[in-house]
Amino acid sequence: MDENRFDEVIRDLPRDFNTPPEPPFDEMWGVIEDAHFNSPASAGRPAGMNSRAPWLAAAAALVIGVGIGRYVPLGKNARPDGTSAIAVASTQPLAPGADTSAIADAYRDQTSRYLGQAAALLISLPPQDVSGRGDAAFAEKAADLLVTTRLLMDSPAAQDPKLRSLLEDLELVLVQIARLRGERNKGDLDLIHQAVEQGDVLSRLNSAVVTNQSSE
Amino acid sequence: MAGRELYDMHASRVYSLAYRLSGDAEKAREFTQDAFIRAFSRLPQFRGDAAFSTWLHRIVVTVVSNARRSEIRFGREVALDEAHSIEVTAHQADPDLKECIARAVENLSEAYRTTLIMHDIEGYTHAEIAGILGVPEGTSKSRLSAARAQLREDLAAFKE
Repeated sequence: MDENRFDEVIRDLPRDFNTPPEPPFDEMWGVIEDAHFNSPASAGRPAGMNSRAPWLAAAAALVIGVGIGRYVPLGKNARPDGTSAIAVASTQPLAPGADTSAIADAYRDQTSRYLGQAAALLISLPPQDVSGRGDAAFAEKAADLLVTTRLLMDSPAAQDPKLRSLLEDLELVLVQIARLRGERNKGDLDLIHQAVEQGDVLSRLNSAVVTNQSSE
Repeated sequence: MAGRELYDMHASRVYSLAYRLSGDAEKAREFTQDAFIRAFSRLPQFRGDAAFSTWLHRIVVTVVSNARRSEIRFGREVALDEAHSIEVTAHQADPDLKECIARAVENLSEAYRTTLIMHDIEGYTHAEIAGILGVPEGTSKSRLSAARAQLREDLAAFKE
């Protein structure tokens, strides 16, 4: 086989190697839905996405699909040691002649990442009538996000009134989730869901993700 | 439901990759289901430092790779003739060549095979492959180059 023929073989591989049949989308979804969303065990899983309000689910899909799906990886300003760029930027004075656009990029990267994580946490929050399993994971994640929330509130990112208002509401919600440790008060999750719904938090998160991406 | 929206967005590409890697419709279906179930279960652990699709595809590749290792370990690997039902039509390549290609791809190491399938067959970029496999882009490029070289060598003796 000569070079040209081999190039043809490579070019035709998509047609000639393991060409996929039409996937049984609905059947596969049925299995996924049964295994994850409808099983009794799923109630205790930290991924119970069976929201009580249809609009909440639609907003969630938008956040995850439109927002996170197109969300860029950590940018050039990511710190290799894992230190939060916000933590660094908000605690260190700006040096004369510093590259402010790089700092702005760092804030945008960090804000995008934070918004995605907050959305994932809120979407995954189970309804109120479940066992306490998984609470510790939620609480731990919320506590981490709470630190970032407060750093962002003290950063130039919070100069945007809409984002600041969203951060303030998220702070309240995250404080409540962070308290979900040990013996759960039956009404706690209900209150959290109410706070999310009344504050329109998920749809505002969606807007913030889109706005933040469009400025990148 | 948000889960269904996510599924609709990604299922086609996930299934296609699972099928290319496994060569079996039933396995591809199981791998796809397994990947989504795992992804939904781990959503709270999603750190947001990569695109959701990258994270999901990483789970798929891991699921398929683990299954293949398990099959090889226990000697239950299905014979190529059974695994790859090849429909031959007039405009397609010679069945002997297709069989040779299938064997040559199967003979590649797991890393080379996965990279070749993702890049040359499924059209992923090196940046995407690097993100999914957790390797530098340069590694993806060198693996592809090595995979093609080995493929070329294996097919060198083929006469049409």
